[in-house]
Amino acid sequence: MNGYKRRLKRLKYNPVTEDILKELVDIVGEKNVLTDEAKIEAYSHDETPKEKYASFPEVVVLPNSTEEVSSLVKLANRELIPVTPRGAGSGLSGGAIPDHGGIVISLENMNKVIEYDFGNMMMVLEAGVITNDVQEDLEDEGLFFAGYPMSLESCFIGGNIAENAGGGKAVKYGVTGRYIMGMEVVLPNGEIVELGGKNVKDVTGYDLKKLMIGSEGTLGIVTQATIKLLPKPTKEVALLVLFDDAKTAISTVPKIMTETGIIPTGIEFMDKLAVKTSCEYLNEHLPYEDCGAMLLIEVDGADEEQVEKDYFKIGEICEKNNAQEVYVADNHTTSERVWNVRRNIAEAFMVVSPEQSLEDITVPIASIPDLIPELQRLGEKYDIQIPCYGHAGDGNLHATLVKNPDHTMEEWYEIEHECLKELYEVTYKLGGTLSGEHGIGSKRKKYFKSAVSGEELRLMRMIKKGFDPNNIMNPGKIFDLED
Amino acid sequence: MSYNGVWTMAETNDGKLRTVAFELLTRGRKLADKLDVDLSSFIIGNNVSKEEANKLIEAGADKVYLMNDPRLEDFIVENYSNVMVSLVEEYKPEIILGAATTQGRTVLPHVAIRVNAGLTADCTELDIEEESGNLLQTRPAIGGNILATIHTPKHRPQMATVRPKSTSPAERVSGREGEIIELDFDPELLDGRAKRVDFRTTEGEDVNIVDADTIVAGGKGLKKSDNFEMIWKMADILGGAVGASRDAVEMDWISYPHQVGLSGKTVTPHLYIAIGISGAIQHLAGMKTADHIIAINEDPDADIFKVSDIGIVGNLFDLVPMINERLQEEVEKVEV
Amino acid sequence: MKIITPIKQVPETSNVKMDEETGTMKRDGVESIINPLDLYAIESALQIVEEYGGEVIAVTMGPPSAEKALKEAIAMGCDDGILLSGKEFAGADTWSTSYSLSECIKDIGDYDLIFCGLQATDGDTAQVGPGIASFLDIPLATYVSKIDEIHLAKDTTYTDPDENYITVERLLENGYEKIKMPMPALITVVKEISFPRLPTLSGKRKARDKKISPVNSENIPMKKEYLGLNGSPTRVVNIDRPKVTRGGKLIDASDETKYESAIDELFEYMKENDLL
Repeated sequence: MNGYKRRLKRLKYNPVTEDILKELVDIVGEKNVLTDEAKIEAYSHDETPKEKYASFPEVVVLPNSTEEVSSLVKLANRELIPVTPRGAGSGLSGGAIPDHGGIVISLENMNKVIEYDFGNMMMVLEAGVITNDVQEDLEDEGLFFAGYPMSLESCFIGGNIAENAGGGKAVKYGVTGRYIMGMEVVLPNGEIVELGGKNVKDVTGYDLKKLMIGSEGTLGIVTQATIKLLPKPTKEVALLVLFDDAKTAISTVPKIMTETGIIPTGIEFMDKLAVKTSCEYLNEHLPYEDCGAMLLIEVDGADEEQVEKDYFKIGEICEKNNAQEVYVADNHTTSERVWNVRRNIAEAFMVVSPEQSLEDITVPIASIPDLIPELQRLGEKYDIQIPCYGHAGDGNLHATLVKNPDHTMEEWYEIEHECLKELYEVTYKLGGTLSGEHGIGSKRKKYFKSAVSGEELRLMRMIKKGFDPNNIMNPGKIFDLED
Repeated sequence: MSYNGVWTMAETNDGKLRTVAFELLTRGRKLADKLDVDLSSFIIGNNVSKEEANKLIEAGADKVYLMNDPRLEDFIVENYSNVMVSLVEEYKPEIILGAATTQGRTVLPHVAIRVNAGLTADCTELDIEEESGNLLQTRPAIGGNILATIHTPKHRPQMATVRPKSTSPAERVSGREGEIIELDFDPELLDGRAKRVDFRTTEGEDVNIVDADTIVAGGKGLKKSDNFEMIWKMADILGGAVGASRDAVEMDWISYPHQVGLSGKTVTPHLYIAIGISGAIQHLAGMKTADHIIAINEDPDADIFKVSDIGIVGNLFDLVPMINERLQEEVEKVEV
Repeated sequence: MKIITPIKQVPETSNVKMDEETGTMKRDGVESIINPLDLYAIESALQIVEEYGGEVIAVTMGPPSAEKALKEAIAMGCDDGILLSGKEFAGADTWSTSYSLSECIKDIGDYDLIFCGLQATDGDTAQVGPGIASFLDIPLATYVSKIDEIHLAKDTTYTDPDENYITVERLLENGYEKIKMPMPALITVVKEISFPRLPTLSGKRKARDKKISPVNSENIPMKKEYLGLNGSPTRVVNIDRPKVTRGGKLIDASDETKYESAIDELFEYMKENDLL
């Protein structure tokens, strides 16, 4: 609690006083204003390690409408109190953590579907709608929302937009932003604006909607979104392909697309360490011992025969590229089994050591083979495990630094920092960048400047100042306004 | 001669009747009374004394057919089946109830085929149809999501296996009278080709979860095998057995005989405590008929809470050791 | 060595969600798969054939679409699939199903072993395996958790039961029982026996190219009066959908401050109901 007070002084924010609490209650009602420490604890962290990144808000408010959000932000802007917008709190970069205390505005009560517009294959949602509920809602309509990430059980659409989330289907479907047609935003001065709409084409001025997408809640609070829907594929098949080594596996990835002419839904990569740890954790009896890396390739479509043709073509390319074995999972049971290997990697390493740094680097896919030996080198240098897995089809890899249980926490923080610096340097050298889908937030802020040019940073700072002259909207995220 | 009477198969173990034999008498008594016929039990085994057999009479059987033979010491399905078929042919019972145990679920299907009888597995309710007098057999299917009621209109006998612990055992009334008939039989009936060559007991390993009154079960929420220790500890304090979800078994934290659910065992204990089990439909099918269900899970939306009487939403790694400590205190209080 | 694996196509239910309102499971759009327990039977059969040579033949009775289950079995490594399919089999209970499958197996002939899953996840009866053994009059072991030994007679006519046998371990309520049986014999297996393999691309290729022609009572001599609903002693009188929910109490112990009161409440319940 003392940490933020110290910083408050420096940033000249004002504390949330009793009078302000009364005003907050006037806006959202008493039950929607939380100050009890036990209750606000849940809003002090996201999915990043609590010990390292958590920070308490002074108050959490749960507005029920855009107008209430607007009133809250106007109040905060008038009183110079920092505001941190929050979705489901499933983020991986600290974006929803109130680093400077102040007010957390959680959109959890704003979870209604405003409109089903199947004529335009669109839906209008409040920001607190759980993205996965949208999928379940659409099941009977034969439609789906293609822009959703992996934490599909819990995350909100608002958070997906703020982070421009990616996920396992990005190879074919792209990321969240591609499916956001329009939005309603409360700006840092409390004004409400509508950006975009239902027009497929729109070049009327700057595309401010695109600017909001992925801005991590620093430019405003998304309160509603118009999302585009696609016809739901009726058949999905997953291929689990075992290779001798990472290099052979990765070199197959571009060929899958260039030689078959098929764009798979996703291509996931898992290195030997990731595979072994996950399989051991799951007690999975696949012949993983002699396998140096795996690809998990998914194809989907509306025509079962076509999907079968597609997976045969892709599987045969893998065979031609010396795959040890190609497993085919074309029903729910087998597909769950192969996806479990991929999905449980993080959890399996949690058992080894709960202290981890889950990274989100992205490189051009042709550079992945050069990245893998570097990870191995760094792992040896710092005496830690660095499993590597992720969305190979789009070059986005979750290299994860796992604390060696023999190291003390101080040693670990030191190692984490040094190793990350070096990892990012390697990534840039390969033409890659810091984060593909998790965002910068507070977790990667100190490395952000190394990822962008001075000119880019200058432009971003000007944009931020233009939107938020008092710097009250999620301050301290992505970059600071001054060095 | 037409088919008549209600029969129950009384399983024994080392010459002693198993509890389920008395449960079947509760079922059988109700049916026999409705039909106004005799209730009989039969024992196939070895070294089962008349005194032991008399317990069935005390618990409501009118007749007990007792078949002892060293060659019936082990359950060899062909031998048991031959003996049962000969009984059916000779006495023509109208209804035969067996327990849905590994033995009952093996020999009754074998016999039903040979006597062209209808057989319904794992019944939880039995009744007599008003007009026809047919046996109405109710059983859960599709993971307990439907309850099907089945009858056998034209074939006799009508056979059913009954889920253990789905009813209470019939109470014994000392001095109740009945007839014990010791039967000899044709040695050729015991020509079964299979032989038991070894048996390794798991008693004392607490894996007989089917008969346990209290089960403490762990699931994926325990995160790793070491954490199963606190499940064992709770079971130990409560004098219960340890169960597990499919995830926990597949991850090799505990062996398969502990698995509760569709692909494991169906249990009906008095108390079931589910810890870190989310409650997949398969798991629920295996335990939701327990009398009392307590669940501890971090996820308030876990399906296990839909079948539980008391659900605690919270961190099990904190809560379970605290609960164990309290249980220990309570148990010690009782002992003092 | 010829092993026959009778399998069943069942609705995929492992991921089925509960319908909050009715308390029953949602079954819309549920796909059909091989009964999960049958996969263990297939795996065990494949392992034996890998060791001793021979073939594994999957057999199923069902609608023409059950061909998919046989193709999946072939993709896992089975050599062939036989589909018993015809209107005359519709509505068969376990008695009639056991009869039809046993006649089909007789027609295949020359088998050494029959491996079944313990039970199917839709009916849960565990009756068809023992039923087939009973019709075929061959030794039976249920709840098999391990194949201990297979001894093949040098004499290829396999007539000597002391020379041609299988020893298996059965998982019982109170222990493991070892049973030795002359072959041919039938076993039903529990999950402990093996880990099913995944179908491979080469297996899928083989399955794709394999033509499976359905057989029925025209091709295989069967007693018509034993088939389908007519041949089934049992009849379903009624189907109920019981509610799963109990509507029990949820106690919030989401943070440390609530632990004590949550545990108090738990013990109160346990005391009230005499559970201690």
